[in-house]
Amino acid sequence: MEAEVDGILVAAHELKAPLAVLRQLALTLPGMDAEGEHTRNEMVSVSERAIKQVNDLIKIRRLEDGLFEMEPVAVRVVCDEVARELMYLFDYNRRELFIKYSNRARLVTANRDLLHSVVYNFLLNAMHYSGEGTRAELNVKDFQGKVKIMVRDYGPALPMDVWREMKRGWIEKPTSIAMRPGSSGLGLYIASKFSRYMNAKVGAVRHRDGTSFYVEMPVSKQTSLFA
Amino acid sequence: MIYVIDDDEIMAGCIERACGELREVKIFTNGIEAAQALDQTGVPDLIFLDILLDGPDGFTFLNELASYADTAVVPVVVVSSLDLAGRDLSVYNVVGVLDKNTMLPEEIKNYVVQYDENKNDA
Repeated sequence: MEAEVDGILVAAHELKAPLAVLRQLALTLPGMDAEGEHTRNEMVSVSERAIKQVNDLIKIRRLEDGLFEMEPVAVRVVCDEVARELMYLFDYNRRELFIKYSNRARLVTANRDLLHSVVYNFLLNAMHYSGEGTRAELNVKDFQGKVKIMVRDYGPALPMDVWREMKRGWIEKPTSIAMRPGSSGLGLYIASKFSRYMNAKVGAVRHRDGTSFYVEMPVSKQTSLFA
Repeated sequence: MIYVIDDDEIMAGCIERACGELREVKIFTNGIEAAQALDQTGVPDLIFLDILLDGPDGFTFLNELASYADTAVVPVVVVSSLDLAGRDLSVYNVVGVLDKNTMLPEEIKNYVVQYDENKNDA
């Protein structure tokens, strides 16, 4: 089992270098017309997303080493950061991103990088499944002594068997949730792994016109400097 | 003169282009060739250095630089996809660290301009 995991780690490291080169090649292409610029931006964006997923796979392997420290994290700051990162992609794909914060507890106990990846993967998933011209919603609220970060899409409803799997609080492997068209479920698998490490619960809510994925983060007892 | 040391020649080419056409850039795919060149070409004004290289790694090359008075003062920009956060590399005269996964050509150029200005001031 260990050898299999390390194989993934080696493959991930091997993939990172050519992806970084492709991104850099796109960035250093000489000036071009608007269509060319558009293509360049797409190449950079696709490469960056792939690099991020590869980095996340490497982090999954490192979870076992317990190297990710838990600390008080300002949840809105992380969500804003991810939203800024993905705004280009939402605009490009003609999706709207609606953000609503109603949480009073500002700090959660988390690892900042891992939480960033969880929100990133939720939002990317929502963007992928929301139809053109529709919107995805990021909603952060207090819930039973925790902070609930919920991302809703207006895509295909989540199949019942997948919903059951998520109900137990984590996802076993990516292929087990290859349930909606065009997805291996890798992003949600990553989010699930990271959430579990942070002692947070992930789950899903089925809607007739889409799905919400959420993570419930434990509130930090440290007084927020921003409160 | 600028040294670019990276075992990926395409990445090295990207860094060379970002440095600008008017700069003399020498590309090396390993630290041994670069160390040998120091004797032949003289000390460069700036070095962009990858860490994971074929053969001796970038840290070995940094130690080599630090061991001679004339090369110890050459500013080095580390270009790597390794997570080097929290590592103090200033003892090697590392003036910046660029993450290969996120760096922009402008950031590379900024280092070149900055060290051009420093050279002119001196």
